Amino acid sequence: MDDLFNPPAGAWQRVSPQLASVRRIVIVATAVVGAFAGAALLLLLDVPKPYVIGLVVGVAVAAAWGWTWAGSNQRSWGYVENDDSLVVTSGVMFKRLVAVPYGRMQFVDVSAGPIDRAFGIATVTLHTASTETAADIPGLRAAEATRLRNRLTELGESHGAGV
Amino acid sequence: MAPESEVQVAEALGQRTHPATGLIQGALWAVAGVAATASSIGSRDVIWSALAVPLGLVLGMGVGFLQWGFTRYVIDGTELRITSGVLSKNSRRIPYERLQSVDITEPLVARVFGLAELRIEMAGGDKSRTSLKFLKLSDAQELRSLLLLRAHGEDPQSLDALDHTGTVLAAVPSERIAIGTLLSLDFLFAVIGAVALVVIGVWFDRFLAILGGLIPTAFWLVQIVSKRVVAQWGFTLTRTSRGLRIERGLLSRTSQTVPFDRVQGIAVEEPFVWRFFGWMRLEVDVAGYAAQDDEGGESISTLLPISDPRLALQVIDELIPGNAFNTEPLAYAPRRSAWFAPVGWRYRALAVNDASLLTRAGWIQHTRNIVPHQKTQSVAISQGPLQRWLGLATLDVHTPKGPVDAEARNFYAAVVRREAFAQLDRAHAARQRTPVIPHDSETNTPLGGPR
Repeated sequence: MDDLFNPPAGAWQRVSPQLASVRRIVIVATAVVGAFAGAALLLLLDVPKPYVIGLVVGVAVAAAWGWTWAGSNQRSWGYVENDDSLVVTSGVMFKRLVAVPYGRMQFVDVSAGPIDRAFGIATVTLHTASTETAADIPGLRAAEATRLRNRLTELGESHGAGV
Repeated sequence: MAPESEVQVAEALGQRTHPATGLIQGALWAVAGVAATASSIGSRDVIWSALAVPLGLVLGMGVGFLQWGFTRYVIDGTELRITSGVLSKNSRRIPYERLQSVDITEPLVARVFGLAELRIEMAGGDKSRTSLKFLKLSDAQELRSLLLLRAHGEDPQSLDALDHTGTVLAAVPSERIAIGTLLSLDFLFAVIGAVALVVIGVWFDRFLAILGGLIPTAFWLVQIVSKRVVAQWGFTLTRTSRGLRIERGLLSRTSQTVPFDRVQGIAVEEPFVWRFFGWMRLEVDVAGYAAQDDEGGESISTLLPISDPRLALQVIDELIPGNAFNTEPLAYAPRRSAWFAPVGWRYRALAVNDASLLTRAGWIQHTRNIVPHQKTQSVAISQGPLQRWLGLATLDVHTPKGPVDAEARNFYAAVVRREAFAQLDRAHAARQRTPVIPHDSETNTPLGGPR
C-alpha cells in the first residue's frame, strides 16, 4: 500500500535537514569517544591487537550506518495541519502516522538541547490525555516551532473539549 | 439530620479530622510492622516481631497525633483547601472543577472505629490524589456528596435533595466472585504449579530445594485471592444521579464513584474458563485512575468483577449509551495476518456504530474494547517491514492509560487507512454533538496557560 502514509490533504511539511546534522554530530562524537575509550581499555587489559582493531572497525561501521540512518530518518518526518487535527508521520522501516485532533490537546511543549540550539532547531511535542499519543516533531526550525506551538495553542483553545 | 446543620458543618472554616486519627495511624503502623517482620520468621527475629507491635503503635500514634493536630481543611465556595505538615507546612488547593472522582475507603482498622478516608482525585500526574483521613463515615459521605455537587457546578442548597442511596444495579454474589477466581487460568496455573512442586519435592525427597519455588507461588496465590476475592467481596454497583457507585471489600471497604461523563472506555474480558459459563468482567478507563492503580495495587478500574452478559450489557449501556457491543464487525483481520498470530488472527475484529468504536481480540481471553467516539484522544497508523510486504497495517485508537487498549492489529492497509480518518471524523462529529459544559473542563487547562 503506497498511499497508506500519504497526507490526508496537501503535502507533508518536511523538517529541517539540520536534524540529520545534529544527529550525525552526536553519533560521530559518541562513536569517537566510545572507540577511543574502548580501545584504550582493551590495550590496558593486554587484549591482542586484532580484537582492538576489530572493535574500532565495528564502531566505525555502526557509525557509518547511523550516518545514513540520520539522513533517511530526517527525510521521513512530515506533518500537516488539517482543519481539525494535526497529522504527523515518521519512520523508514517502521512507519507511523498519528493524527491528533486539536480539541484533544492538553498542552504543547517546545524543547531544544544545546546542539539543537546551535543549529537553530527544536522539538515540538503534543500531549493528550493519552500517553500513547507520543506525537513529537523533531528538527523544526526555531521560528517554525514557535509558530506551530502558538498556532496549536490557539486551535486547541477554539476546539477545546473536556477530557 | 437537618439540612442546615449539614451545610453548616461543611461550610465551617478550618475543620479538623477525627481525633482518633492518631490512634488509627498507630494501629496501622503496628500492623505494617508485624507484616514487615513476619515475612522473615527466623528465630532471631521473633524479638523484633514482638517489639514491632508496641513500637509501631507508639511511634505511629505519636506521629499520627501530631499530623492530626496540624491538619485542617476548609471548604468554601470555590475550592477545598487542606493544610497540613508539622515541620514543613503544606497547603493544597483543590478547585472543584478539577475534581475527577471522590472515593471513600475504610481500612480495616479505621472501619472498626467507624471512620473512613476520603480520597480526592484530580486528573494529572503523580500527585493528583489528595487524601483526608480520618473522618466519621457519615461525615465522609456527606463531604463527598458536597464535593461532587460542587464539581458539577451546583449549589449545596440542594444538599437535602442529595440521594445517598440510588438504585442498585448489581449486587455480585460473593461466592460467585470466589468461584470465578478459582476458575481463572492464572489461579489454576498457580495451584498446579504449587502441587507439582510439592509432588516433585516429595518424590525426590528434596523438600528444602523446592521451597525457593514454593514460596513465590504461595505469594502469588495469596495475591490473586486478596486482589480478586477479598478486595471485590460484596461488590455492589449502584446508579446515583452523578454516576455509578462501586462498593466493595471484605476487610477494607472502598466506595468509589465513576461519573457518567468521565468514562474513557470499557474493556469487556472473557477469560478462558469463564466463557463456558458465559461470564464476563468489565474494566473501565477513567483519567487519573491508572496512576493510582500502580501505587494502590488494587484493581480499582474494575467495573464488574464477574457477571452474566445481560447485566454486563446493561452496565455498558448506562455508561456508553448506544454502544457497539452487538454491532456486526465491519472488518476482520485477514487470513494472511496469520503470519503474525497463527491462532489469534481469527479473533480480531473491528466494529463501529454511531456512538462508539469496538475492537475485539484475544484467543485465550476474549477482550472487547469499547471507546465512545467523543473520547478518542488520537489515532495512529503503524506498519513494519513485514506488514508492508503483506499489505497489512495496525490501527490504534488512543485512550488514557488504563485497561482499555483499542487497536486493530494486522488489518488490510486500505481498511486501516480508511477507518483511521473515518474515526477522526466520527470523533469530531461526536464532540460537536456533546456540547462543552463549562464546568466539564477537568484537565483541559487552557493551552499555554498557567498550570
